Amino acid sequence: MPLDAHALHLAIRWLHVAAMATAFGGALTVFALSARTRNAALDAALVEVALRYEFMFWLAAGVLAMTGIGNLAAFGTGLPLSRTDWGMTFVLKLGFVLGLIVLSLPRTLAIARLHRSASRPLTEALQSRLRAMYGGTGAAFAVALGLAVWLAHG
Amino acid sequence: MEWSLATFHASAFVLAIVFFLYSRDALGSALGGLNTLVGLGLFVALWGTTYLTTCRALRGLDLLREGDHLLFARRAFRWGAANGMAFLGVLGVVLIASAVFVSPTVLLPVLFVAPFALVISAVVGAVVGAVFSAIDLALLAVARAALDVR
Repeated sequence: MPLDAHALHLAIRWLHVAAMATAFGGALTVFALSARTRNAALDAALVEVALRYEFMFWLAAGVLAMTGIGNLAAFGTGLPLSRTDWGMTFVLKLGFVLGLIVLSLPRTLAIARLHRSASRPLTEALQSRLRAMYGGTGAAFAVALGLAVWLAHG
Repeated sequence: MEWSLATFHASAFVLAIVFFLYSRDALGSALGGLNTLVGLGLFVALWGTTYLTTCRALRGLDLLREGDHLLFARRAFRWGAANGMAFLGVLGVVLIASAVFVSPTVLLPVLFVAPFALVISAVVGAVVGAVFSAIDLALLAVARAALDVR
């Protein structure tokens, strides 16, 4: 039985949105957890949650890249040119997403280092850096989401 | 660590190519000739080969320590070449499998071109691996600075 192209593209879009929700929602969750007053046990739990989020983040990033290209394939040869309004916004979004991915690797490596070091409870300065990292990630996803909504409906 | 590095490499590599092609209005024609499912499968294949080769490049190394960086860069060069050849192998199997039913005579030119394609894929993979190892080490330095507070 031939595969329905419409159903396939719908499934790819659904997967794209689900991956975005995972990465965006996870960043906000870790940010919210890092904003609480803590003790050694809560700090250890926060670092564990952040470490698990990093695994999910990279899974979501791979799925977003893969399904994002699948979404573009749905345009076929009707893909708008780069000098149109849509095209310029898309170039902006693509560059922004590339920057987000590049700047996310230091965050992941920093959490891996923090997980290895046994210093709990976290110092106020470390907590502040964690809040900044996950708050920044959440804010970056909000911008990417805004650009994606504009591209889809603008 | 292997998971995040491999996904970073595969995603950044593909997105950089998409960015380059789209900004030159060459993406539509490139995607037009590609079946969506095959495209998704090829991305998963690249992700898989990159994960396996990244695991081999990091085996026995501790990237979070200073001492292993030079060895990591050398291994990234070598395993980058292996990744390029492995991905070409997957690509070759897909292309041959889809073409052989249409025209079995396609096998002869493929056999002739294959050794040259393997060498080129190894060189491209090695260069990409070396570039990514430099980026990884630079981003590792950023990671150290990010949480280096008392």
